[in-house]
Amino acid sequence: MAGLLRRPDPNRRAWRVVLAVVRRAVLLAVLLAVVFAAVELLPGDAATATSERGEGEAALAERRHLLGLDRPLFTRFWEWMAGLPTGDLGTSARGVPVAELLGGPFPNTLLLGGLALAVTAAVSPALGCWASLRPGGAVDRTVRGSATAVLALPEFVVAVGLLLVLSSWTGWFPAVTLTGPDGGVADPSMLVLPVLALAIPQIGWNTRIARAALADESRAPHIETAVLDGLPRRRILLHHLLPGAVPAIAIGVATSTGMLFGGAVVVETVFNYPGIGGVLTGAVTDRDAPLVAGVVALTGAVITGVLLVADLLRVRFTGGRA
Amino acid sequence: MSSRIGLLLRLAPAALLIAAAVAGPWLTPHPLDAPVTAPYGPPGGDAPLGGDQLGRDVLSRLLAGGRELIAMALFIAVLVTGISAVLGAVGALRPRVGRVVERAADVLILLPAVLGILLITLSWPDGGRFAVIGVAVVLGVPYAVRFVAGAAAPVAASGYVEAATAGGERLGHLVLYEVLPNLRATVLALFGLRFVAAVYLVATAGFLQVGPQPPAADWALMIRENTAGVLLNPWGVLAPGIAIGLLAVSVNLAAEALAPRTGPRAVLPL
Repeated sequence: MAGLLRRPDPNRRAWRVVLAVVRRAVLLAVLLAVVFAAVELLPGDAATATSERGEGEAALAERRHLLGLDRPLFTRFWEWMAGLPTGDLGTSARGVPVAELLGGPFPNTLLLGGLALAVTAAVSPALGCWASLRPGGAVDRTVRGSATAVLALPEFVVAVGLLLVLSSWTGWFPAVTLTGPDGGVADPSMLVLPVLALAIPQIGWNTRIARAALADESRAPHIETAVLDGLPRRRILLHHLLPGAVPAIAIGVATSTGMLFGGAVVVETVFNYPGIGGVLTGAVTDRDAPLVAGVVALTGAVITGVLLVADLLRVRFTGGRA
Repeated sequence: MSSRIGLLLRLAPAALLIAAAVAGPWLTPHPLDAPVTAPYGPPGGDAPLGGDQLGRDVLSRLLAGGRELIAMALFIAVLVTGISAVLGAVGALRPRVGRVVERAADVLILLPAVLGILLITLSWPDGGRFAVIGVAVVLGVPYAVRFVAGAAAPVAASGYVEAATAGGERLGHLVLYEVLPNLRATVLALFGLRFVAAVYLVATAGFLQVGPQPPAADWALMIRENTAGVLLNPWGVLAPGIAIGLLAVSVNLAAEALAPRTGPRAVLPL
């Protein structure tokens, strides 16, 4: 693929890679600081949230001390941030390490989100290409119309629709996810509906981006030359248009990661999937802010990773330029 | 003229649906809080959509359940559009402000909106719907500012804005009287997109039960409450699901119709 492109100065490219990594790391650190501040500065803390009815001030103060809430804000912030790289996500309102609570569910959510991301990344460019083969034709209009229709649907609405059609009425896929002895999903067929519910809105979103990126690219002069040379449409699409559209498509899919994680929380609730969705619903009842902050830290790290991959793809496909 | 009729036709479904949801609470055939059928009662008799988990009339709750969702989404969309129209124009006139907003958007893209809502409603237990509105505004503004700033950049660089700047006009005057009046199409399209995003967020918050609380009639809450009885009376889930789906799709089509043909494309995550 790179053979098609002009090779830029390798030093410049390496510098751009380093710059991209540092930039993403700094942005993640800022997000974590904002999250910590939001949890600390808003009214209510973990000690009062988990208190029993009629519990005295003394008992509250003691639990504050146990949870370390009586120490200066900056000290606690520093300890939390310093602990993150070592995998220490702090302590939940009930006194259990957050990392322990998330150790089982988080990989399950990662699997669900990862599969949905893979489906999105495979289907959206394919649909975009298919629509691009005959601009303005029936396929193009159908693909663009349905992409626009589904991109705004909340995941739980898609999930409930799939549940009714593909589970209750046809019985093709199981309606709930059962957990195997290892804490994972008991059967692969149980992943189909949650993955579809997550991926369908994102496919709508990214198909539009892919279609638009291909349309922009088709205005480039070298494409006009290829068309005038009489190359077959398919060849022009795959060898000339698509490589130029890859950075835009990659950024689009990468920004879907956040939506996928947010949607996963909701979809897991519908299908009773053993991921962070269940942990978070419990956290809502317990008002367990440290637990939610831990989930935000982990998802933020994953999203940073995916965005970094998109950055690196851009460096690879545009070299040292732009 | 025919393009104007076409535009009206594409706006009509959203307008009709919103009007129906606003008028709905006055049209309910049964009280919202008293059972009229058995729990998860099937459709029939004077309950054409059957009953919910407590036997309350699904049709009445459907009619009543959209107004607050739409009102909150509208309020969020107005706030986000207003704030980001001004900030976007300022960002185009003052590049330093623009860069700060750009960095803020880079940071917030790492925080899924659903997690943001959970985080804020947990840290601020009495926040209720204000917490949801607050998060939606804070998370929505940075992307929207990018959208406006992109459209405002050529306007800010145009001759008459330079002339006004040279004439010693203040920033506020430049934003309100020179830049924004030229961005009407962009701002209108932005409002449509932010309304779509707000419907998504408010509905999802309702589903996660951090927005409206039972026994409120709310489409998202209805889906959550009635999923357990979906085999007995699917309409308890289907009817509000279709309502939210139609709202999202029709508002999205209306936003598409409003978008300027040559303006910046709608690239903003929800």
